[in-house]
Amino acid sequence: MRNSMKVAKWEFKKNVKNKSFIISLLITPLMFIIFYSLPNLLDSFESEPEAPTVYIQDDLQIWESMGALVEAQGIEWDTEITSENQESILDEVQNNENTAYIVFDEQALEEGLLTVYTNESMEGEFSQEVNILLQPLQQFRISQLELSDEEAAYIARDISINQTEMSQNTDEGTDPMTRLVPGIFGGVILFSIVMTGMMVFQSASQEKKEKVAEIILSSLKPTELMQGKIIGYFAVGMSQVLVWVIILLPFLLWKSDFPIAEYLFVPETLFFVFISILGYLLFAAIFAGIGATFEDVDTTSNFQGFVFMLPFVPLLFIGPVLSDPSGIIAQIGTYFPLSSPGVLLMRLSMLDSWPWVEIGISLAILIASIWICMKLAGKIFSIGILIYGKNASLKEMVKWLKY
Amino acid sequence: MTAETLRVEGVGKSFKDKRIIKDISFEVRKGEILAILGPNGAGKSTTIRSIVGIMYPDEGSVTYQGMKTGEIPKNKIGYLPEERGLYKKVSIMDIILYFAELKDYPKKKARERALYYLKKLGLEGKEKSTIEEFSKGMGQKVQFIASIIHEPELLILDEPFSGLDPVSQDVMKNEIKELAKAGTAILLSAHQMNVVEELCDRLFMIHRGEKVVYGKLDEVKAQFGSYKCTLRGQNTIASLEKLPQVNRVEQNGETSALYLQQDINPAKWLRQLPETINIQELSISRTSLHEIFIDIATDKNLLERNDQHA
Repeated sequence: MRNSMKVAKWEFKKNVKNKSFIISLLITPLMFIIFYSLPNLLDSFESEPEAPTVYIQDDLQIWESMGALVEAQGIEWDTEITSENQESILDEVQNNENTAYIVFDEQALEEGLLTVYTNESMEGEFSQEVNILLQPLQQFRISQLELSDEEAAYIARDISINQTEMSQNTDEGTDPMTRLVPGIFGGVILFSIVMTGMMVFQSASQEKKEKVAEIILSSLKPTELMQGKIIGYFAVGMSQVLVWVIILLPFLLWKSDFPIAEYLFVPETLFFVFISILGYLLFAAIFAGIGATFEDVDTTSNFQGFVFMLPFVPLLFIGPVLSDPSGIIAQIGTYFPLSSPGVLLMRLSMLDSWPWVEIGISLAILIASIWICMKLAGKIFSIGILIYGKNASLKEMVKWLKY
Repeated sequence: MTAETLRVEGVGKSFKDKRIIKDISFEVRKGEILAILGPNGAGKSTTIRSIVGIMYPDEGSVTYQGMKTGEIPKNKIGYLPEERGLYKKVSIMDIILYFAELKDYPKKKARERALYYLKKLGLEGKEKSTIEEFSKGMGQKVQFIASIIHEPELLILDEPFSGLDPVSQDVMKNEIKELAKAGTAILLSAHQMNVVEELCDRLFMIHRGEKVVYGKLDEVKAQFGSYKCTLRGQNTIASLEKLPQVNRVEQNGETSALYLQQDINPAKWLRQLPETINIQELSISRTSLHEIFIDIATDKNLLERNDQHA
C-alpha cells in the first residue's frame, strides 16, 4: 500500500500541475456561472416594460381600496378613472397599445363576472395581474349581504384540497429537495470521478507507450502500480469536485434564494458520495486493465472503444426510472453493476421511502463486481503493460486471464 | 574470492508450451561486471526480468545476498531495461526524484546525486527540461542516472549502449567501470562485443534459452576461441579443409579464414603447411569474442567441436 500511495502521489502531482487540467478545472465552474448569470444579464439590457394604461369605470366606488391593493402587490398600472361612455373608451383601447379597460359595475357584482377589455398587444402578464382583483371583489359582494363578520369570513374562505398520500413510511410529506439535491450532488461527483477514471486508461496506455512501465515495475508490483493509479486519479477527481464546490457554492448561496446548503449537508449526501465512489472504483479498474493492453489510442479496436461507452450505460435507464422509479426496469438497472451507481442515484433521489433490501443487494453485487474487476484487471494489467509494439486483442486478454 | 551478490540457480520459464529459458545458473559478485550475452530472442530479457521480479520463473531460484525471490529488497537493485523510456511531459529532475522515491531513497540526497550525475554526463543545467527536448542519447543518460540514483548494490543494464554515439559510449563505459570499482555488482547485457571485452570480468552466453558459455573472459577465449588463420591466395575450400587441425573454413574471394582446433601450437602448425598452398598474405590471431558470438548465433560448428575438446 505504501508503494501504491507513492504512485498515487505522483499521478496526482503530475496531473494537477498540468496546464490543461488547471484550465478545465476553472473553466467548468466559470461556464456554469456565465450560463447562470447570462439570462439575468440579458434581461437587464432589455428596457423595462412600460406600465399599461388601465381605464377604470368605477360605478361601485371600490377602486380606492382595490388600487391600494394593486399597488401593495408591486403591480405598476397607470390607472385613469373614467366616466366617459363605454364606446369611446373601447375605441381608445382598440387603437392604443398597452391599454386596458376594467368595468366595476352592478353586473359584475350580480353575476360575479368582471369585464376586462385589453388591446391585442397587451402582455400576457396583465391577465395574471388582473386576477388579484377577484378576491377583494368577492369580499365586496359578501359585504353587501350585511352578514356578521364571522359569517362573512366563513363564506369568504376558499375551499381547498388537502390530499395526503398514505405510504408505509410514517415520515410523510418529505420535501423532495432533501433527496434531490444530495442526489444531484452525488451525480456530479460520479460523473466527475468517472471522467477522471478515463484518465487512468490514458495513463496506463501512456506508460506503456513511453516504455516507463518496466522501470517502475522493477520497484513495485503491477497491482501496486494499478492501485496507485486508481487512487491518484480518484484524488484528482475529488479535488476537481472540491474546487467546483468552493467556487460554486458561495456563488449559488449569493445569487440564488434556494437554501442549497440546508439540503446539501444531510446524511443522504454521504451515502450518495459512497455510491459514487463505488462506481468510480468499478470503472477505474476496467479502464486500468484495458488501458494497459494498448499503446496507440488511434488504432483502438471496437472492443476498446466500447469500453469507453460503459460509464454511460445508466443513461439508457433515465426514461424508465424517471417515469417509474420503482418499476421493473429501474430494479434491473439497480442490480446491473455497470448501471447500478447511476440508477441508484436517480432512484434514491426520487423515492420518498428507500427500498433498503434492493439497495443492500445492489451494493453487494456492486462491491463483488469491483473485487472481481480489480482481480481481472490486475492480471491483464500485469501482462499487458509489458507487451510492446502492439495493441492486445480480446482473445489475448482472455488468454492472459488464464495465466 | 569476492562476496556473491546475486545467484541464479536452475531458472526456467515457459509461456504456454514454449520454453523460453531452461536451467540458467550463474552468479554475480560484488564489484564485478558479468556480461550476459546471446543473440536476439535467446532469453536474456526473460532471465533479467526473472531476476528483477517482473516475471516469476517456473523453476529454479534467484537469491540476492542469501534472500530468496519475494524477500529481495527491490531498493537494492538498479535496472535499466532494454525497452525503456521516460515520461515525456515531466521535468528530468521530477522523474529522477520519483524513481528515487520508489526505491525509498532520501529526496535530498537523490537531488544532490542527480545534479552530480547530470553534470558528470554533460547535462548540467538541464534538470528542468523535459525528455521531449532531448536527443535519444541524452535521454539514455537520464535513464542511466535514474537506474543508479539510489546507489544500488546490484545494477542490471540491458543494452545500455544501444543508440549511443562513440563519445557517449565511452562516458557510459567509464561510469560503469567506476560503479564496479566502488563495489556494485553489475549484470550487463550488450551486443557490442568489443565493449564487453573491454568492460567485463566474466561472461555468460545464452542461446535458445540455454547456457552455452560461462566463465572468465580469458578462459572463455582460451577454451572456445582458439586461433584463426587468415590467408590470402588462390586456394579451394576443399584443399584448405584437408589441412590438419582445421575446424572450419570460410572463404570470401581470395581471402580464407581457417578456424583452428583448440590445442594447436601456432608455430608448429605453420611449419607443417604444405608448399602447394598459395600464400600471398598470412596472419594468425586469437578468435575474438565477436566471432565466438557469431559462431553461436549462426550455429556454426566451432563451439561444438571445441566443446568436445573441452
